[in-house]
Amino acid sequence: MVTVEKNAATLVISANKHLPLLARLKYMLRGIVVRLEDLWHYRELIRNLVTRDLKVRYRNSVLGVMWSLFNPLLMMMVFTLVFTVLTPHFDVPNFPVFVLCAILPWNFFSASVIGSIRSIVDNSSLVNKVYFPREILPISIVLANLVNFLVALIALFALILFFQIPLTIWVFLLPAVIAVQVIFTIGFGLIMATANVFYRDTQVIMEVVMMAWFFFTPIFYSLAILPRSYEIWGVSFDVARWVRIVNPMASIIDNYRTILYGIGQGGAPPDFYFFMRTLVTSLIVLLIGASIFYRYSRSFGEEV
Amino acid sequence: MTRPVITFENVSKEFKLSKLRVRSLQEMFVSMFKKELRGKHRFWALKEVNFTINAGETVALVGTNGSGKSTVLKLISRIIDPTLGIITVSGRLSALLELGAGFHPDLSGRENIFLNGSILGLDRKEMTKKLDAIIDFADIGEFIDVPIRNYSSGMQMRLGFSVAVHVEPQIILVDEVLAVGDYNFQLKCLNKIREMQKQGVTILFVSHDFEEIQKLCDRAIWLNRGEVMAEGSTDDIIKAFMDIYQSKEGQDSFPQSGVIPIVEQNMVTSDVGI
Repeated sequence: MVTVEKNAATLVISANKHLPLLARLKYMLRGIVVRLEDLWHYRELIRNLVTRDLKVRYRNSVLGVMWSLFNPLLMMMVFTLVFTVLTPHFDVPNFPVFVLCAILPWNFFSASVIGSIRSIVDNSSLVNKVYFPREILPISIVLANLVNFLVALIALFALILFFQIPLTIWVFLLPAVIAVQVIFTIGFGLIMATANVFYRDTQVIMEVVMMAWFFFTPIFYSLAILPRSYEIWGVSFDVARWVRIVNPMASIIDNYRTILYGIGQGGAPPDFYFFMRTLVTSLIVLLIGASIFYRYSRSFGEEV
Repeated sequence: MTRPVITFENVSKEFKLSKLRVRSLQEMFVSMFKKELRGKHRFWALKEVNFTINAGETVALVGTNGSGKSTVLKLISRIIDPTLGIITVSGRLSALLELGAGFHPDLSGRENIFLNGSILGLDRKEMTKKLDAIIDFADIGEFIDVPIRNYSSGMQMRLGFSVAVHVEPQIILVDEVLAVGDYNFQLKCLNKIREMQKQGVTILFVSHDFEEIQKLCDRAIWLNRGEVMAEGSTDDIIKAFMDIYQSKEGQDSFPQSGVIPIVEQNMVTSDVGI
């Protein structure tokens, strides 16, 4: 639904490029409020797209929703086989739990990104025929994968019980860690979805990037084993620190592992400042993603 | 009662020609060396269009192919944004641009009704209330719980039309959808449109069927090459349109589908940045 105010707001923004900074900031904020209102108005569509996604995914398979449990468990078994039987020097206590509490969030991230990238282009028949806030497409992909992730967490907790790892009070931080990951994933997904509309190479490149990203993220190893100093051309690098700075997923995964696995002894408290830094980074990524997306989504209707 | 619900003030829309648009890194690389691929291949699909449509009116948009009719409809429905100018639309809008846009083949008719309703901005409660009326009008019987992919194209269309007209729109955009479908369905649609006219719904109508336009519309706007050529009573406009068409038939000078590349343009492109 289009209202006069909304159009007026859009107009004011577009017509006032030469206003003083303060006034521009005011219109920018007004624009953000309008977009959020619009998103709220279409919340039913988000819900429907999420259920559509889940229904379609499971309707045509025999095992249905069980796949979101089996798939990560199979992956876990492969990793456990490789890193305990084939390469015994890895020596991590309760390795299946250690690896599964990183695989699940990674799968959530990876599936969301790959889905978001294609979301605008794949729904071109919608985008160039009806109006709705376009950010709903990547957001609903992330949320559908979130539901999947939450289902898969059941497998993780079953495994924790099976290995008799005592859970600590820190497990209650799980929703906060998940929230940070959702923020980061939506932000990153918005950037990638926009890029793919204009350069279709994005989705091909990102498949390779995601594979590399998997290895640069502490999934089957821990952040702690990374070298604190590494000499390259005479310059010393703190590898562990740089991995955390460059790769927000490393920090997020590390947080999951800290509160769920500890050092094989159930959960441990995460470093407060480390956690806050991860949150701030994710919020910045979301802000950048949203502004890029809003800036370019005006022309999606004619580009796809 | 003349309350404007749709106004166009100096609206212009510029398109890039998609053939020449860079779509991949390879094309970007090539375009760095090939001059003719570089920029400025654009055309104005609409040029300073002005018109007002008041509440309760039924207005026809006429013009040859490529005159900008569909662009106008897309601008009103916010699928694309104007390059310049102000568009004001007030009221709930339902567009019959493409019936059943957003239907998912793997979901049943019933599920698709809810999905389609939410695309049009309605919540579940409102849709539940209208569900029976929608199913009734679409007249697809037991098929309502069968995945859409098993529907015939006619059934999909009936369902799409039914959803679009039952969301209680205040403005409805109709783009030649009545030309498809069998005779019974066309008749049913026309009756529904007449009913909506009586309820005071504003209707913007695009059709090449002048008989239909004369029966339904109070007023017509004639677009030619992205500009408003004339505006007035339906009979006058159609007469003027036919006069030109018949007098120039067979000649190439008649307004053709208007792709007019503008190499140097001095209009300032507006830019929204949040």
